[in-house]
Amino acid sequence: MDEATENGGGPSGALEPAAIVEAIRASSAAAALCCRSALSSRFPRADIAALVGASGAADLRLIEGRTETYYFSELSMTRAYAVHLFHVAEKDPLRMVAETVREESRLYPRPTDLRTFLDPPFGLTPSELAATVGALELQEEGRDIAQVRASNGALYLYCTSYLVPALALSLAEWIEVGQKDNP
Amino acid sequence: MAQIFGYSGKILRVDLTTGKISTDETLKYKDFIGGEGMSMKIMWDEVDPGTKAYDAENKIIFGTGPLCGTGVPCSGRTNITSLLPTSPFNGVSSSHMGGYFATELKYAGWDMIVVEGKAANPVWLRIEDEKVTIEDARWMWGKGIFDTQAMVASFMGKEAQAAAIGQAGENMVNLSVIRTGASHSAGGHGGVMGSKKLKAIGVRGTGSVKIAGDRKDWMELDKFMMSIIGANNQMVVPTTPQPWAEFSDKSSRWTARKGLFWGAANPPVETGECNPKDMQSVGLRTQKAIFDLGPGAEKYTVRMGGCSHCPIRCHSQLKVPQLEKYGMDPYVANTCVGWSGPRGVMFNGIKDFDGHGEDSNIVGNAIGTTLADDYGVWCNYAQIGRDLKYCWDKGVFKRVLPADEYASIPWEKLVKGDATFLIDFYDRVAFKKGEFSHIGDGSAAIALRWGLGDDYWNDKNGKLWTRGGYPVHHSNEAGAQVGALISCFSNRDAQNHSHMNFIGSKLPIKIQKEIAGEIFGSPDALDPPNDYKPMNTFKARFAAWALKRSILHNSLTVCNWMWPMSVSHDKERGYRGDTGLEAKFFSLATGIKMTEKELDEAAARCFTLFRAITVRQMGDADLRAGHDHMNKWITKADKDKEGKEIPQFTPGTIQMTEEDMALAQTMLYREFGWDEKTGAPTRASLEMYGLAGVAEDLARRKLLPS
Repeated sequence: MDEATENGGGPSGALEPAAIVEAIRASSAAAALCCRSALSSRFPRADIAALVGASGAADLRLIEGRTETYYFSELSMTRAYAVHLFHVAEKDPLRMVAETVREESRLYPRPTDLRTFLDPPFGLTPSELAATVGALELQEEGRDIAQVRASNGALYLYCTSYLVPALALSLAEWIEVGQKDNP
Repeated sequence: MAQIFGYSGKILRVDLTTGKISTDETLKYKDFIGGEGMSMKIMWDEVDPGTKAYDAENKIIFGTGPLCGTGVPCSGRTNITSLLPTSPFNGVSSSHMGGYFATELKYAGWDMIVVEGKAANPVWLRIEDEKVTIEDARWMWGKGIFDTQAMVASFMGKEAQAAAIGQAGENMVNLSVIRTGASHSAGGHGGVMGSKKLKAIGVRGTGSVKIAGDRKDWMELDKFMMSIIGANNQMVVPTTPQPWAEFSDKSSRWTARKGLFWGAANPPVETGECNPKDMQSVGLRTQKAIFDLGPGAEKYTVRMGGCSHCPIRCHSQLKVPQLEKYGMDPYVANTCVGWSGPRGVMFNGIKDFDGHGEDSNIVGNAIGTTLADDYGVWCNYAQIGRDLKYCWDKGVFKRVLPADEYASIPWEKLVKGDATFLIDFYDRVAFKKGEFSHIGDGSAAIALRWGLGDDYWNDKNGKLWTRGGYPVHHSNEAGAQVGALISCFSNRDAQNHSHMNFIGSKLPIKIQKEIAGEIFGSPDALDPPNDYKPMNTFKARFAAWALKRSILHNSLTVCNWMWPMSVSHDKERGYRGDTGLEAKFFSLATGIKMTEKELDEAAARCFTLFRAITVRQMGDADLRAGHDHMNKWITKADKDKEGKEIPQFTPGTIQMTEEDMALAQTMLYREFGWDEKTGAPTRASLEMYGLAGVAEDLARRKLLPS
């Protein structure tokens, strides 16, 4: 993922900057990213990037995808959630799972319950998820992603850059079994 | 008489032996804040060492505090203090219940009720504002708590609140509760009420609690509190990724999300995402039924219930029609261990039984909690199930039960996971039927009676923390030495959430460590989960703070299952909460100006007095050796799959070491100014806390550390 950049000023657009800003904010309020391509369709004569940059709207952020640019407003959407939506929009489950697992192992730190990816906003089907996990084991994208299974059978993934196997196992076991005995 | 704020100003005293009803002044105990603190002072002053829990000379004190009834969020708690029957030395302890009883008591004009003596025949106490009478309870005696509450309501009206015992309390089962409302139980002291032949207390109040401070200031503070409050246990992160949230954690109690319902409400109510900017949705944040019982509970959920003046509704109220098959009310409610305690009795799990299919777990839980709540049996924080399993696994029952009694118990149901086993189980326990029923005496008692030795105490699966007979409760698995220390001091499970409401917030560890650094002086006060480091001074400070805040909350009285507000969900505040809120509310409510530090010092006074009572009741000042010791499973290294020991303080193990915990206790004693060798309060520390009279008493008994 190309990291988003701050809106950086630039020349004011000539066409409807307020409407574009409002469209991005409305999308975020509806829990969706706003694609540049969609904005271009709606405002065909506009230079979307320039207008957004010149809008002065400090809440607007963008994430660059492979062929698309995604906008969101931090008034109603956090970057963390926008990143999840970005992965979904890019239709790259391998990268989505790997980067989400890496981030959770780094941030909290904790292993990630595989079932997480079946639920919103990820929304993979069981077969897609199984294929993704299989691919992670074989491909470079999954080189730092490992699996651990709690005693109740639940499968978790973790990033070896941030969690050692024993810690990942104990955390998964706690999440699945231990904490239910210690409410 | 000058206007009193926060407090009602009066303590109700009832002597059941003589029938005398009298009034005492609250403010003569004001150095002890209220609730638990004041109760400890009364227990110290008025209950002689050597008194047993079921003696007429024991007192049972129902206490509220100066914040109860004021509208402070999460302030509907009743603290109950008395000698504890499950304690091997009848140590003083407190139990707590939520609901609406405490607030009603304040509205009736009373801060506390002190009950002493023993009635000749069953009685109940009727409180209608200033009018207090001791009533005949012969027709209540023998009934379960639900029927008892209905009878109190029939006498006093549906607005009245009742605290009652069931058959377990009547029969002086050590593991028994006092319950109010549908599901608010105070575990451990039901038998004390039973010993006094006190079946229930009904209270109706039509007054109010006066606040000293300016109303606008009060409302602003209340609004601020509501802007940082999270979900149950102050968890500030939702379970699923949501647009408003930077973080998520599937283990959080902030379960609200799109598509999640109170499914049995008519019409069903969707929790939605509960963006914290929408203050009106606070009560929807915690859909506790699915947290406690699994996703299958959603369709049975009528609503979430809770306590007076609490925006966090953490009690699941369900309609389980299958209960009618067993002659039970289909409406059932509870939270946390109120569900898992009875479920824990079914130690093989609840499997498909009576054709309930995939809903068997819900039905089984509902049967268990209905029985426990009606008979009033306490689970000792789920220990009763672990004790049952240990005795089953080790053949204890075959050894100690008469053959015909053993044969009469439907063990096959227990083994198969048929939850109707619970019907037989609770009947035996509540009515003290046979040798088996002694499982309701508590862990220390059965160890003695059934000859359970070191293997029992040191069994890791048994989870018994000390030989005091109580289990873990947010112990070494919760903040390493911090949680471990917290579990060493009560005469029962610690019931302390001061640390959990911080480290269980589900925020990333970096943020938590930053906040720990601000509160306790160093980020090293907090280790990452399951990745522990050896003891340090800052952890001792953290543990001492948690102990002080717990007794402070039980004195104010506010809910230690929510307070303190160490963290928040507010990114703009850097996810910081406000640990000074208790003092701000206390000052505004009472007009007695107290800083956060001063209030913590008052709490330390209360906790040190509790410690002094323990010394006096044990007749031994060496609490380190005789009281605070931990069972050996806690300090025994884990082994990996190959049988190789996993050294403590390596990632992935939460085991402690004896040496490190000895140091931890020393550091903790130092935080309170107690004797570092024995852990007992010294003369100097007692005098520092304004307890010189306590020091003199202990000195006369040769119970001060040399």
